[in-house]
Amino acid sequence: MSETMRPSPEAERLHREMEAVWGNPRGWRGLFSVVNHSTLGLRFMATGLVFFLLGGVLAMLVRTQLALPDQAFMSPEIYAQVTTMHGTVMMFLFAIPMLEGLAIYLIPKMIGARDLVCPRLTAFGYWCYLFGGIILFASLLLEMAPDSGWFMYTPLSSGEFSPGRGSDFWLLGITFVEISALSAGVELTVSILRTRAPGMALHRMPLFAWYILAMALMIVVGFPPLILGSVLLELERAAGMPFFTVAGGGDPILWQHLFWLFGHPEVYIIFLPAAGIVSTLIPVFAGRPIVGYGWVVAAILITGFISFGLWVHHMFTVGIPQLAQAFFSAASMLVAVPTAIQVFVWLATLWLGKPRMSLPMLWVSGFLVIFVCGGLTGVMLALVPFNWQVHDTHFVVAHLHYVLVGGMFFPLLAGVTYWLPLVTGRMPSERLGRLGFWLTFLGFNLTFLIMHWTGLLGMPRRVYTYDSAMGWDLYNLISSIGGFMMAAGVAVVLVDLLLHGRYGRSAPRNPWGADTLEWSLAMPPASYNFASLPRVEGRHPLWETPTLGDEIARGEHARPGAAHGRRELLGSEALTGRVREVIHLPGNSLLPLYAALCLAVVCVSLLARLYPLALLGLAGAGVLLLRWSWENGGHRRAAPLGHDEPEAPPLHSRTADGPGRWTMGVALLADGAFFLSLLFGWFYLWTVSPEWQMPSRSPLSLPLLLASGAALTLGTLWLERRVAALKRGREAGLALALSAIAALGGLHVALLVMALLGAGLAPTATAHDATLLVGLAYLLGHGGLAAVLAALQAWRAGLGLVGARLPFEPGVVALLWRYQLGVYWILAAAMALLPRLTGAGP
Amino acid sequence: MTVLRRWWAPSHPAQLLLGLTLWSLWFVVLYGGLSVACALAPPRPGQGAFTAINGGLALLTLATLALLGWLAWRGLRAGGVSVGGSRFIALTGAGLHLFSAAGVAFVGLPIVTLPPCL
Repeated sequence: MSETMRPSPEAERLHREMEAVWGNPRGWRGLFSVVNHSTLGLRFMATGLVFFLLGGVLAMLVRTQLALPDQAFMSPEIYAQVTTMHGTVMMFLFAIPMLEGLAIYLIPKMIGARDLVCPRLTAFGYWCYLFGGIILFASLLLEMAPDSGWFMYTPLSSGEFSPGRGSDFWLLGITFVEISALSAGVELTVSILRTRAPGMALHRMPLFAWYILAMALMIVVGFPPLILGSVLLELERAAGMPFFTVAGGGDPILWQHLFWLFGHPEVYIIFLPAAGIVSTLIPVFAGRPIVGYGWVVAAILITGFISFGLWVHHMFTVGIPQLAQAFFSAASMLVAVPTAIQVFVWLATLWLGKPRMSLPMLWVSGFLVIFVCGGLTGVMLALVPFNWQVHDTHFVVAHLHYVLVGGMFFPLLAGVTYWLPLVTGRMPSERLGRLGFWLTFLGFNLTFLIMHWTGLLGMPRRVYTYDSAMGWDLYNLISSIGGFMMAAGVAVVLVDLLLHGRYGRSAPRNPWGADTLEWSLAMPPASYNFASLPRVEGRHPLWETPTLGDEIARGEHARPGAAHGRRELLGSEALTGRVREVIHLPGNSLLPLYAALCLAVVCVSLLARLYPLALLGLAGAGVLLLRWSWENGGHRRAAPLGHDEPEAPPLHSRTADGPGRWTMGVALLADGAFFLSLLFGWFYLWTVSPEWQMPSRSPLSLPLLLASGAALTLGTLWLERRVAALKRGREAGLALALSAIAALGGLHVALLVMALLGAGLAPTATAHDATLLVGLAYLLGHGGLAAVLAALQAWRAGLGLVGARLPFEPGVVALLWRYQLGVYWILAAAMALLPRLTGAGP
Repeated sequence: MTVLRRWWAPSHPAQLLLGLTLWSLWFVVLYGGLSVACALAPPRPGQGAFTAINGGLALLTLATLALLGWLAWRGLRAGGVSVGGSRFIALTGAGLHLFSAAGVAFVGLPIVTLPPCL
């Protein structure tokens, strides 16, 4: 704690009691079993920083190669690997995880919670990120890195033109890392919606939480299309299923659709949290509430939606009808409106306040200048004729960096300097910070402003060298000098970060005069954040009650202490913030590490084409995740039924609608996005692919599909009835009923397997059969999981871990059954029934 | 039905998503419908923008505009008589419906000028 904070004896006693329950374990075990959001958030950011530096070194290699014409500093093969890895590392291993880490660290502190709602999932996400990142980056050290560009366009990335392992590293490594992003997306969504401080209604939520909520939901919906694309491309490369090969009935353009369905929202997934930092900092340094809170909320939501309607502007040159191009061109211009709303809100807040130009505000100012320029070139690129002219030139590279570096890196550094005292208790150096800023700002503009000209003069991207006669020499040299100047700026910032812990001035409490709850905490915060949970009645709790921090530390608010030994949060209503239940969280665990290690084995085995080992790893991960789910509800290590439990509000496992149900719901949203992408792929290939071969008769047996669907329908309806009965307190025969429901799930899967085996598919011969196989595998996976989970529920009911007093879990499993029911009939109709009805065969 | 009725109320948080969801659905049907129609029955190139495809898309656009306009008006009216969180949701929701309507009008404008499948 900083020296300015002098805790009272009562606060110290409370701290010891809370620390005993919430504290991180020490030693090696502690290193691997921590689930605390503060520790893991910082780990995400530290790992992201390492990858940023590695990606930065790659950028410097690129600028060295391009500094002069006709250079042989790098061979074309290595240059292609370096540029591909630079983009990949910066987008997937730095930008997203870094912002996730920031959100994981800050969100509970800002909304008045002690942790995120799924601590083990936070740890699992971190390990997946770390292992995936290491595997992906190892490819560069092995000189077999991906080299088809960070968007991996087919057919360049397909087996024919990229026969090495590079594309496989990308596809498997990125999918692994995306598990981490999805984990964070799901738990951040649920945490923000269901664990806010009492009284913190939606309209009182900090704007940063609105931004992170939008980001998290966009990850949940936006990442699955790329996961599907990666799965399909890996299946094509490893097993020969021709999804993207015209001769087999596939289409390489399908990859572009799936990639950019993810890729364009990705830009906004990166921008929104950064804009959240700006919307948090500007009111603090202007000394007044933000102008137009509601306008900002509306702008966030508009960005979240409209950004999914722009993906085709990356594909204006592939031969799409003019009218369709016009739709996407207009939508691309439309997305500038919510961004403009935010810019005007920020300017108005500064105009009406009394701005202090502290170090964080310097980075915010840099952001405003650079991002507005990047936004304007974005509107230029939305115009189809201009887009055609500069397509695949350095103009696009310059625009991309203006948007991403301006829109993410500058606000990130504003946020880092702003929240640094919270993390370490010490202030950053103004002098070093300002030097770092100006070197970075000037270096950046020198590099990328000039690059617009290089692009307009026609220099294409991803060429490893150029002829002096092209007239690009001077511009490239200036860009390279600027690049190194920017690198020097980053180095100065790093020096400040490293030195401030030792030499930085001790931070006074709430050093910037902020309004949000995280500044009511100790610096650095304790493992449990809040010794007692405050009630929030306004948008600016610390401006309204400056003594809140002391009151919290003395335990004067809700649920102080942890004498019961449970890690407890308050569960609140999503809209009003009214308290509904006490959420009990699991403690430290090695299971997330083990499960992620098993997935790493899967990833490496697939790269090495050791399929039996990959299957073993997958089974291991499945078993570990189920074991993880076992320590829940009334389990003796979770919250066993007893006499010391609260009644009003009750523990969440004693209710029918705890956060696990919401987590399952949001996870199924991601699953639904994957499913819809698959459905899109099916209809896209059917209607667009020139060599698509629809058989005259569907190979799938209709009677078997109907019987399988009937078993699933019966099981789902029965499960729903039992869940409803449980809510009414009726538990007689529950274990038996759940066993029978699991058996129906097993029958559903068995009949589907029979339909698959009887179909005689030739998935390596036609894209039709390959897509059908993927669809059936999807249904089988979900059906199998639904049956297993129902069987586990039956077992738990038999052990007394599920029942009238513990009615929570069957409702969570019922959501999966309901989902499977929906996707089963939709897929059966799309893949088996519709071709019969339309007579689509030859 | 009770759940649906609750979600339909102008002060329910679902209203923050409804307008933009309608915009998204309209956009998907617009682009998907155009692609499928051009794959199945492309009109003669000389017809310009006066085709059945443009007509169908224009009708869809007008219907979506009308629905979004009505939802915005409903939200504005509800926001005028409510307070606190309900007022915030109703008014922000109304603004989002209005923006979605403007988005439908702006993105749909090329339907009256461009041929569908060229």
